[in-house]
Amino acid sequence: MTKNLFAASLLATTLLAGGAHAQGLKIALSSEPTAIDPHYHDVTPNNAMTSHIFEGLTRQDEKQGIHPALAASWDNDGANRWTFRLRDGVTFSDGTPFTSEDVVFTFCRTLKNETAIAGSFADVTASFASVEAPDAKTVVITTKTPEPLLANFLSTVRILSASIAKHDKITFDVANNCGVTSPWPVVGDFNDGKLALGTGPYKLKSYVRGTGITLERNETYWGGKEPWESVQFVPVPNAGPRLAGLLAGDYDLIENPAARDLGRVKGDKRFGIAITPSTRVIYYQLDVAREQSPFVKTANGKNPLQDVRVREAISLAIDRKAIIDRLMDGMAAQAGEFLPTGMFGALPTQPVLRYDPAAAKKLLAEAGYADGFQLTISTTNDRYINDSQIAQAVAQYLNQIGIKADVDAMTRTLYFPRRAKKEFSMSVGGWTSASGEASSFLRQWAATPNAAGTLGGSNYGGYKNEAFDKLIYEAVATMDDTKRSSLLQEATKTVMKDYAFIPLHFEAGVWAHKAGLTFTGRSDQFTLAMSARPAQ
Amino acid sequence: MSKPGLPVPSIPASADTPLRRRVLKAIRNRPTMRGAAVLLGVLVLLALLAPFIAPQNPYDLASLNMMDNRLPPGAAAMGGATYWLGTDAQGRDMVSAILYGLRTSLLVGLLSTGGAMLIGITAGLFAAQIGGAVDALIMRIVDFMLGFPSILVALVLLASVGRGIDKVILAIIVVQWAQYARLMRASALVERRKEYIEAAVNFGLPTRHIMLAHLLPNSVGAVLVVSTISVASAITLEATLSFLGVGVPVTQPSLGLLIANGFEYLLSGEYWIAVFPGIALVLLIVSLNFVGDRLRRSFNVRAST
Repeated sequence: MTKNLFAASLLATTLLAGGAHAQGLKIALSSEPTAIDPHYHDVTPNNAMTSHIFEGLTRQDEKQGIHPALAASWDNDGANRWTFRLRDGVTFSDGTPFTSEDVVFTFCRTLKNETAIAGSFADVTASFASVEAPDAKTVVITTKTPEPLLANFLSTVRILSASIAKHDKITFDVANNCGVTSPWPVVGDFNDGKLALGTGPYKLKSYVRGTGITLERNETYWGGKEPWESVQFVPVPNAGPRLAGLLAGDYDLIENPAARDLGRVKGDKRFGIAITPSTRVIYYQLDVAREQSPFVKTANGKNPLQDVRVREAISLAIDRKAIIDRLMDGMAAQAGEFLPTGMFGALPTQPVLRYDPAAAKKLLAEAGYADGFQLTISTTNDRYINDSQIAQAVAQYLNQIGIKADVDAMTRTLYFPRRAKKEFSMSVGGWTSASGEASSFLRQWAATPNAAGTLGGSNYGGYKNEAFDKLIYEAVATMDDTKRSSLLQEATKTVMKDYAFIPLHFEAGVWAHKAGLTFTGRSDQFTLAMSARPAQ
Repeated sequence: MSKPGLPVPSIPASADTPLRRRVLKAIRNRPTMRGAAVLLGVLVLLALLAPFIAPQNPYDLASLNMMDNRLPPGAAAMGGATYWLGTDAQGRDMVSAILYGLRTSLLVGLLSTGGAMLIGITAGLFAAQIGGAVDALIMRIVDFMLGFPSILVALVLLASVGRGIDKVILAIIVVQWAQYARLMRASALVERRKEYIEAAVNFGLPTRHIMLAHLLPNSVGAVLVVSTISVASAITLEATLSFLGVGVPVTQPSLGLLIANGFEYLLSGEYWIAVFPGIALVLLIVSLNFVGDRLRRSFNVRAST
C-alpha cells in the first residue's frame, strides 16, 4: 500500500514535471535558416523553419507522402487541369480568413519575387498557364504541360496572406502585376516579423540572425493546438558544442549530432536518439560547359572537365567507402545515383561507383592530363554534415591521381549566391527530392534550362545531353506512373554515364533529444517542432 | 626628459647606448627573459627547418592517408611510422602540422607587422614633418581606423576577399598600420623639437634629407621595439581569424585552424587535434610577448594602444 502510494505520488510528480516541461521547446540547429520569407531560397533549413509559420495547399508526412493541408481535396482531369477545394474554417494568425485570393496572390508573388535566390519556387508556378478562383474556396490551376507531380510540388509553395500587400481584385495576370497596387513584399519585410503572417501552427515572435528564432503557438490553428507554447531555435554550427548543450540541459532537441559522439547519449536514460535515412544526396557538380573554368588551371589553357574521361577519373579516384567509414562514422549510405533505392524512379539497385585510382590515372593520361592540372573544389563549411572535411578528403584523393586539387571552404551565405553566379568549377551540392521522385534532382540540376524556368534552374555546370533532355522533358510531363518511372530510370542511366555530377553518399538524418519527449525523424531532414511531442 | 639640476640616477640616458648592447643586456638581466628568448629561438628554428625535420608535408594532400585519420598520439601509421602526437580528421600527422603551422603563423606575423610598420612609419613621418592639413588628415584616418575593433575590420575584409595567406596578411596590415603611424608621429614630433634638427633646418638642408637622414633613424627605435609585441598580436589575430573560418585555406592549416578543426572532436575525447597546436600557439605568443615586453620596458616606450 505504501509502495503504491509512493508510486502514485512519483507518477504525479512526473506528470507535473512533464506538464511544466511542455511549455517550451528549445532546439539547437546545425544550419541556420537564412530568412523567414518562405519564398526566399528553396533550401532545407529555410523550408523547415517556414513550415512552422506557413502551410502549402498540400503537405508531406515524415516519409514524404502527400496529404491535404490548406486544400481539403483535389482532382485532376487526366491532363492539365487541376481543381483544389480549400479547407473551411482556416484563418491566418491575425484572424483574416483564408480564401482562394490568398492562393492566387501567393502564386503571383513567387513569380514577382525579386529577392529570391536562383528563382526559388518560381520553377513550380512558372508552369501554370492559368489560375482561376471561381469562388472563395476553389482554385483551378491549368498547367502549360501535364504536371503529374503538381500536388507534390504545391506542398513546397507556402501560402501568404493577400492582406500583406495593397491590391484591387487579385487575378493570375502576372504581366499586369496580378492586381497588386503596392510594391511586392521583399525578404526583409518577413524577417522583421511585419509580414510573417501564415496559417501554420506557430507564429513568429522574433528573428535575430545568428542568435535565434523564437516562435509562439498559434492558438487558433485549424489543425489543433500544438503542445509547445513557445519554441526557440538556436543556431549552433559546431557539433561538439551542440551536443554539450544538450548534455548540459540547454537544449531539448538537437539536429545532426556527430555520429562519433552518439555513444555519449546512447544508453543514457536521460536522452533519446532518432536516426532516419534521408533522401539527401551529396555530390559534386562539375563545370562541363565552359572552355575556361574559373578554378581550373591547365598547361594547355583548356577546361579538362569538358572531357568525360577526366570526369570519370575524378569519380574513380574517390574512395566513398572510406569517407563514409572514417569521416561520417558510418552514418551515410554510398550513392551511385541521385536517389536511394526504392524511391519512385530510382534504379532497381543502387549502382556502385568503383574506387580505382590506377584506372583513374590511366583515364587522365588518355585524356592528355597525365601530369594532372590544378583544380579548386568549392564547398560550404556549415551546410551539410562534414561538408568541409569531405571536400578536403576528395581533394586528397584527387591529389593521389595527380590532379592538384585544393579546397575553398566558405560559409553558405557566401557560397550559394556565388554558385548561382557560376563562379565555381567543382562545387558541392546536397539535394533532397522534394517530390520523393527521381525527377526532382534530374529536372533541377541536369536538365537543359527551358525558357519558363521550370527545368534546369540549378544546372550551373552547363550540362547538356540531348538524349537525356528528351527523356527528362518527356518524363516530367507523363501522367502514367509506370511509364514515367521507366523514363526516369532511363534518364538516370544516361546522365550517370556522363559523370557531370559525382554523387558521394546519402546522408542520414540524426537527432538527439531529452527523455520526456518523443521525436519522429523525417526523410527530408526537416527539424520540426511538430515532430516533437511530450512523452506520454 | 629629466629636468636640469635634479640629481640624475646612474642609469645612462637612453639614447646613448647602442641598440645591440641594450637588447643583449635586457636579455641577460632576467632569467625568465633568457628562457623566453631561448624558447622563441627554438620555435623559430623549428619553423625554419620544418620542411627538413617534419615527417610529412601536411600541405601536400597526396601524402595524407584518410585511413590513418584521428589516430591517438603514439599510434603506428599504415606505412610503419609513428604519429607521436596523433593525426587529425584528414589523416594529417600532428607533429608535421604543428611545425608547418608555426611557419605559417610566424610568416603571417612577420610579414604583416613589416608591412604595417612600413605604411605606419611613412604616414607618421609625413604627418610629423609636414603638419597642418596633411597631419590632420592622416591622423583623422588613423583615429577612424583605431575606432573599430581590429577583429571586426579583419573579418569584414576577409569575408569579402576570401581566404588565403596573402589576404590574411593584407587584412592584418590594414588593421595594424594605424597604431604605428600614431607612435611614429609622436616620437618624430619629439625629435623635431631638438636642436640638431633645428640646426639642420637652419643649414638649409632639403626637407627630404632631414626626414630620411635625421628624423627617421632617430625616432624609429620606439616603433621597432613595439613591433615585437605586435608580431605576437598579429599571430593571435591570424589564429582567431582562422579559428572563425575566414583565415588561411583549409588545406594549409595554421595553428589557429588546427585548433578550430580539433575543437569539433574535443567532446569525442580526441583531445590531441586541438590541444597540441594550442600548446604550440601559447608557447609562441608567450615567448614573443615576454621578449617584446622586456625590450619595450628597457627602452621606455609606452604601449601605443
